Amino acid sequence: MITYAYYPGCVAQESGKELDNATKFIASRLGINLIPMPEASCCGGGVIDGFDRNLKLFINGRTLALAEKEGLDIMTICNTCTLTLSEVNEELINNPESLEKTNEYLAKIGLKYTGKVKVKHILYAVRDDIGFNKLKEKAVKSLKGIKIAPFYGCHILRPSNVVKFDDAENPQGFEELIKALGGEPVSYVRRTKCCGFQTILVNESTSTSLAGNAIYEAQEKNADVMVTPCPLCHLSLDTYQTVAAKSINKKLSLPILHLPQLIGIALGADYAEMGFSRHNVSVRGLMAKVRQNDI
Amino acid sequence: MEFKVVAYRFNPEIDEKPYYKEYTVQDYPGMTVLNALIKIKSELDGTLSFRRSCRSAICGSCAMKINGITKLACKTQVSLEIDKFGIIKVEPLANMPVIRDLIVDQEVFFDKIKAIKPYLLGQREDETHNSFRALKEGEKITQPVYDKSEFKNLTGNEDTPNCILCECCYSECGGVVGNKDYLGPAALAKLYRYSEDPRDNDKNGSRLVNGSMPNGIWDCVHCQACEQFCPKGISPVKSIVKLHEKAIKNSITFSPGSKHVVSIARSIAETGRLDEIKVAFESGGITGLLNDLPVAFGAGLKGKIPPLRLKLIKDMEDIRLAYKELDLEDKL
Repeated sequence: MITYAYYPGCVAQESGKELDNATKFIASRLGINLIPMPEASCCGGGVIDGFDRNLKLFINGRTLALAEKEGLDIMTICNTCTLTLSEVNEELINNPESLEKTNEYLAKIGLKYTGKVKVKHILYAVRDDIGFNKLKEKAVKSLKGIKIAPFYGCHILRPSNVVKFDDAENPQGFEELIKALGGEPVSYVRRTKCCGFQTILVNESTSTSLAGNAIYEAQEKNADVMVTPCPLCHLSLDTYQTVAAKSINKKLSLPILHLPQLIGIALGADYAEMGFSRHNVSVRGLMAKVRQNDI
Repeated sequence: MEFKVVAYRFNPEIDEKPYYKEYTVQDYPGMTVLNALIKIKSELDGTLSFRRSCRSAICGSCAMKINGITKLACKTQVSLEIDKFGIIKVEPLANMPVIRDLIVDQEVFFDKIKAIKPYLLGQREDETHNSFRALKEGEKITQPVYDKSEFKNLTGNEDTPNCILCECCYSECGGVVGNKDYLGPAALAKLYRYSEDPRDNDKNGSRLVNGSMPNGIWDCVHCQACEQFCPKGISPVKSIVKLHEKAIKNSITFSPGSKHVVSIARSIAETGRLDEIKVAFESGGITGLLNDLPVAFGAGLKGKIPPLRLKLIKDMEDIRLAYKELDLEDKL
């Protein structure tokens, strides 16, 4: 059994609770032991350095130090948390001045960071620590015949000198996972593009047109479902899908799953266990298709 | 080794719509994509049009999409592309209209560069020598003396003055894809470059105020593509974030984008968490809230509503101390 300090991020504990539940479901089935971090704060939503760069170092340095104290690596389920924690980790490891400044603050709250913690997103924790072959063995439902559009989003791939999980130009981790579960990955250009979430409250039309065009492209490629490793992308793609459709003047109706929900279905979770009733776009059609696929 | 080049072709004078044409090229060690295109043009098809000049990754002319990603053709090895994609597919830069084949109309891009005033504003008061006049015989020009540290953010190998205006970042920018009026990474990085220049005399903060207008610094979607795909290793997004920080530190917080960032900082100071409801309300104000009501209502019907009152994280005083240590309490 592998153990991680579990950093779900804010959205998965608030409006995206279904993601947190699905993660806990698959972790228990796959033998990933998740240690909660009740002291951990928000990472700053990917924009906190726009307020103060040192605040970003302090609050995320604290989260890293909390994990280091327990001797654990951190597992994330949000792209933006992954990038922010990874950026701060790189900065503290490579810049002695930043580390010293951060440790002065950490000393006042009884913590210290030395740079030992690794930050891993669940997609790559499953790939590297469980292995896709073992995942295949544990699956009780096949996703055979289901066309799945992987939507990587940005912060799990870029910048690749900070988030080093996959090839930023032509990532394959998500596709390999889908294939391991028996599904058919849909190839489309916007799989690595932006969902626009960061401007959703600032310039909604920018955001919804990005999300809308990604959904439309996947739909045109006959995708049955789109899957995302990030709850922020999920808000753009699912919660705002009706607005996105209007903004690009196209009909959109594509169910959007959180990555752990897709794995959850393959591991036998039902509709309620994955919290599908909380989705804007219905997942019932997809579930009916999967139901026929007992292994 | 023989390999295939698939090139985007479009000549508006004769073609109704764009098409792709395939060429077979013989590789040689160290061949770049630009070498391959020049070989095609000189040996196979003289009509293939593309910009090129220095062949040394410094003029920025040969930027184009190579296997879907914007790169300099002269800096891209054929063998690496073939290893990864099995083919060389070349297309014109995105976010700009095509003139012919791989050549785009750069006017919009340069209009946006001009819009940020890419020159030093005014004169510093200490520069009395700056009045323009002919020198007398034997008179020497007195140069103003600046401390090297005043240029500290502008003189590294990967700092914004090294931008070659190749448009790779502009072609990959998610913000421009979503909003064609967005100034884009190169122009905003340049805005940062001038705002940091000690010789610039921007007395009333007009750079930060103008930059905070719609289509400016707050419209960045943080997709990181500009940093990832800059052939010179510059990070425009980091420059943009530094402009955000600078604007907020100077209390230039009239735009929804800055309100959004301050609201997130406030929410973390109060609860240790990002309060989705509060941040949504504070970022867009009443108009934003009314605009988002149908989405919020729809989500509410599905039970997808965040808690109205968030539980504080454990050891919340640690976070308050971080704000206190950094003197940030009065910025909230």
